[in-house]
This record gives sequence, structure tokens and C-alpha cells, in this order.
Amino acid sequence: MAPSRGLLHTLNAFLRSVRHKPPRRKYSTFSETLSNPANKAQTYISRSTDPYLNLSIEDHILRTSSPSSSILFLYTNRPSIIIGRNQNPWLEVNLRILRPNTDNDTVAPETNIGNVDLVRRRSGGGTVFHDLGNVNWSITSPRLSFTRDKHAEMVVRALRKLGVSRARVNSRHDIVLDQGPRQSHRDPDPEDMHRTPYTSSTLFEGSGGSGGDDGGGIVHARKVSGSAYKLTRHRALHHGTALLNSPNLEFLGSYLRSPAKSFIEAKGVESVSSPVANLGIGNGVFEKAVCGEFVAMYGDGNGDGEGNLEPKIVDNSYLHIPSVKKGYDELRTADWTYTQTPHFTFSLWVMEYRIQLSIRHGTVESVDFFGPGTAMLLAMPESRANDLGLHELRMELLGRKLQDIGGSEWEALAVGMSALRVFMAKKVGGLLGVPGVEGFEEEVDDR
Amino acid sequence: MAARLSVAHATRQLTSCAARRPSPFIPATCQRWQRAPLERRLFSVSAAIKAKQYTEDHEWIELSADGKTCTLGISEYAANALGDVVYIELPQVDMDISAGDAIGAVESVKSASDILTPISGKVFEANSALESKPASINADPEGDGWIAKLQIDGEPEGKMMTKEEYKAFTEEA
Repeated sequence: MAPSRGLLHTLNAFLRSVRHKPPRRKYSTFSETLSNPANKAQTYISRSTDPYLNLSIEDHILRTSSPSSSILFLYTNRPSIIIGRNQNPWLEVNLRILRPNTDNDTVAPETNIGNVDLVRRRSGGGTVFHDLGNVNWSITSPRLSFTRDKHAEMVVRALRKLGVSRARVNSRHDIVLDQGPRQSHRDPDPEDMHRTPYTSSTLFEGSGGSGGDDGGGIVHARKVSGSAYKLTRHRALHHGTALLNSPNLEFLGSYLRSPAKSFIEAKGVESVSSPVANLGIGNGVFEKAVCGEFVAMYGDGNGDGEGNLEPKIVDNSYLHIPSVKKGYDELRTADWTYTQTPHFTFSLWVMEYRIQLSIRHGTVESVDFFGPGTAMLLAMPESRANDLGLHELRMELLGRKLQDIGGSEWEALAVGMSALRVFMAKKVGGLLGVPGVEGFEEEVDDR
Repeated sequence: MAARLSVAHATRQLTSCAARRPSPFIPATCQRWQRAPLERRLFSVSAAIKAKQYTEDHEWIELSADGKTCTLGISEYAANALGDVVYIELPQVDMDISAGDAIGAVESVKSASDILTPISGKVFEANSALESKPASINADPEGDGWIAKLQIDGEPEGKMMTKEEYKAFTEEA
């Protein structure tokens, strides 16, 4: 036995030495491990904080993993705003403060966070803010046995074991912390992940989201985790945030309130905003607890019954996997981030006149003018639009992709003899201009 | 729900079997019973070309009489399973598509689900009424809630099922 083992060992060492591209092996192993039906349960933790990369790895897991397997993936992103697949960035996000240092036409920074990435994810749902104090948990599992609550309940079990007794799953499949005094003398069933001793019986859930306010100024529950899903034929991806120690909660409003919101009428999915809170747990402690619950639910994948599944580490080098790179590049294009936006109209009064833009597939499809005054419902006669320099403005905008018209270009459009045109271009540009998009594309080419 | 479906299914199977099976109580020489099965078969052959076909991904396609175009949508089973639909990403007109492509997506309860086409061709019409009324896909997924009309190129790829086969498929699941 010993000699043959020695021979094998030598042979292996020889093979290792002649293999000139060791990294390749690692990545093909990742895909192979994912797709191998023998690996029923797998856990991964990302050491990258790049939101585009983490979302692409997650998508790779969804598309590559064996249909019967369950995969846990944990990742933490640098400050970024993640909008849902069918959302409108002009409506959901204060775009002008995302790139405070790279563009000279942005407004003065309101926060000290620095650059914030804007990312459109592939799953549904609303807009969330990520930073290093937020750990994202993501579970890809067979679609047939999947429910929208089962993994949120799993995370609540992990939180309760860490002593967070106020955590529960609400009717929107999010995780909230009940606020205020104890509500009942009798403890609810400890296995009930939808109720805590602090759950108010007068909860107003449903359209109001996570039960923010009862009108008397009492906050019943604060959101600590938001859920979203992507479904394919055999697989269901459920991912959620977990606000642990974000230092930026006070700034969320500045980022997630768009100045253009009241001028926009949009198709698609609008976010439901909720009061939020930190859980006050360390990232590592949370990751470990979620892994533990995942293993309790799906086993450790080794079949040895030990239940000690050690998560595998993924990092920036996974960008070398061709399909991850492809997804990464796609997520970073302005086309995916902006052009994917569902149809919307933007309508604004300037003095006695109204300008209305219709944006389809991110492209200006019509520009209409109304007014003055009592003629507000009537389209402005062409001759008058011509006199006011508005027809020219229309021709400059028609057919353009809205995200391509940067702040400086709006400035350039705000010229001419007509004060109306100057004001209109300035105001519209101030609300819809996307700073730093030009730089956005360059960064992609750098890679 | 499942129970009701399977009762309906069983009833339909019973009735169709009964109609096809020549009754042992009627002599074989009876003219009416000799002709009837023949007509029925002819009818069902021509109808099969145009009848709705379903995929394992819960889409349906319905070919036009000339076989050059088809209408595509998601099945009633899928619409029920997805829950309240809040947005439908429609394919762009004139888009070239290959069998297996995602040509759009449905969003319901924070979930995005791709709409796949089982057949290659080109989109010539998208149901723009769904833009302002996405809920109509829940109300009538196999009628007013159709998603796209396609000029088709070739045959559907992958397993296609008749309504009966599809019903059995969803009941197994």
C-alpha cells in the first residue's frame, strides 16, 4: 500500500507542477461543485464588497447549481443603492448625490459616505441601501418546495438564538423588530416566527408596509431586513438584507428621496418605505448564526451528520469566471441600470407653462408643451412653441437616452433668447440630469 | 383547488372516453356509430394544429390558422401560482428571438419570473394593454392577458403539451 501511495503522491506533485494555470482550476471547481447533484447543501461567503460582482456570483449560483440543491451565499457590499428589477431610478433615488467627488455639477454633498453605486438587480421588489454594516443573505433552493416566508423564518430563528427576541417576519415577507412594551401576558408560541410578545394586536400591516405608525406616533415595528425573489423553472432565489451596524441610517432619506418624485408618473414597481433599525450584531456573528440555521434546515452537505459546514470563501478573483464576468459587465452598463426603466412621464410647471416628457426604454419619446395659463390643458400651438425656442429644445431631446443627457448638457440647453426655455431646461435638468454617467461607461472599459 | 381540478379532469376524461369508445350495446352495423368516429378524428386532426400548446415553464402558444404566427402567454396555473402581478416586462416589437430565450418577465410579490419562448422568430406585437393593467394577466391569462404575438420560424423546441397533458403535468407537481 505504502509504495503505491508514494508513487501516486509523486505523480500528483508532478501534475501540480506542470499545471501552468492553477487559478483556472479553482473557478472550474466552483461551477463543478455547484452543479454536482451530490452536493445537496452548500454555503459560501464573499470577501468582495463589489455589489456588481456579488450579484453576478449570486446569479451564477442560481443558473449553475444543481436543481435539487440548496445554496446559502452571504455577502456584504460597499455603500450602494440596489433598485428592484422593474423600478425607476429617477423616482427612487436622489441621483445627484451619488458621485460627490467625480462630477463638478453635482450639488454639495449632504453626507460623508462618498461614492455610492447605483445597481439594478435581477430580482423584483423595492429599493434598498447597502453598506459594510449590512450583510446580505441569499438562498437558492428548489422552486417546488419554496415558499416566500421559509428563509425569512430561518433568519429570524438565527436572530432569536442571538437574543433578538423582538424579531419576526411580517406580511410583506420582511423581517422587523417589534417596538414598545410587551403586549401580552402569555408568550406566543416560540416556534411562531410571525409573532413576538411585543407584537401589537392593532398592527396596521399591508399597504402601509411593515407597520410603521398607528397614527398616535408609536412606531410598532422597524424593518431590519427586506426580501426579494427571482424565480426560474426549477429554482427560487430569495435574498434579503440584514441591517446589523450601518453607520448611515440617518442618511438613507437623503439617498432614497428623489427630488423628481412629485413630477413623475411611472409604470412599474414603487418602493414602500419603512422605518428601519440596526440589529446591533457583528457581521461575523450573524454570518455564523445564519450558516448554523441553514445547516439545521438543509444538512451540511457532507452527509456525515456532524452539522459543521464550513462556508467556502469567494472573492474578487471569481470575476475570471466567464459567465460571472458577463453578468458583471451587463449589470454595470447604463443600459441595464437606466434603459430598463418602465415607461414614465415627467411633467413640470415653469411659470405659466408646462413641459411634459414621455420616456420609454429610457429614451425620450415625446416632448409636449402646454399653456400659458388657462390653456394649460391644450397643447401649445407649434408656432408659439417655435417663438419661445421650445420647439428647438424638443428637437434636442427627442430620441435621446435620458441618462446620456448629463448635468452639463442640460446647462448647454438652457441658453437662448427665451427666458422660458432657459428656466425649463435648468429645472428639468436639475431634476432628471444624471451626474457621472459618462464615467460609468469608462470604468467598464477599464476592466 | 387541486381536488377540484382533478375531479374536473377525471370528468373530462370520462366523457371523452365515452364519446370515443363505440358502445358495445349498439350493433356494429349501425350507420350512425360508424360515421361518427371518422368525423371526430378528422376534426381533431385539423384542430390539433391550432390548439393551444403548453410548455413545462408554464407558457402557452397558440398558432394561427396559417401556421405562420402564434400568440404567447402564461398559463392560468402560472398566473395563480405567481400571485398578484404588478408589472409585466413586455418584449420589444421587431425583436428577434430564439427558442429558450427570456422575452420578458413578470413581477409579482417582489418576485421576478422570466417569460420564455419555446419557439424562434420575431415579435410583431406586444400586449401593451398589460402596461397599464398588469392585473388582467391574473384575470384572464389565457385570453386578454396574452403577452406577445410572434412571426414564427420553425417548430417549437422542447416538450410541448396539450391542455390535458399540461393539466396532468401541473397536478403531478
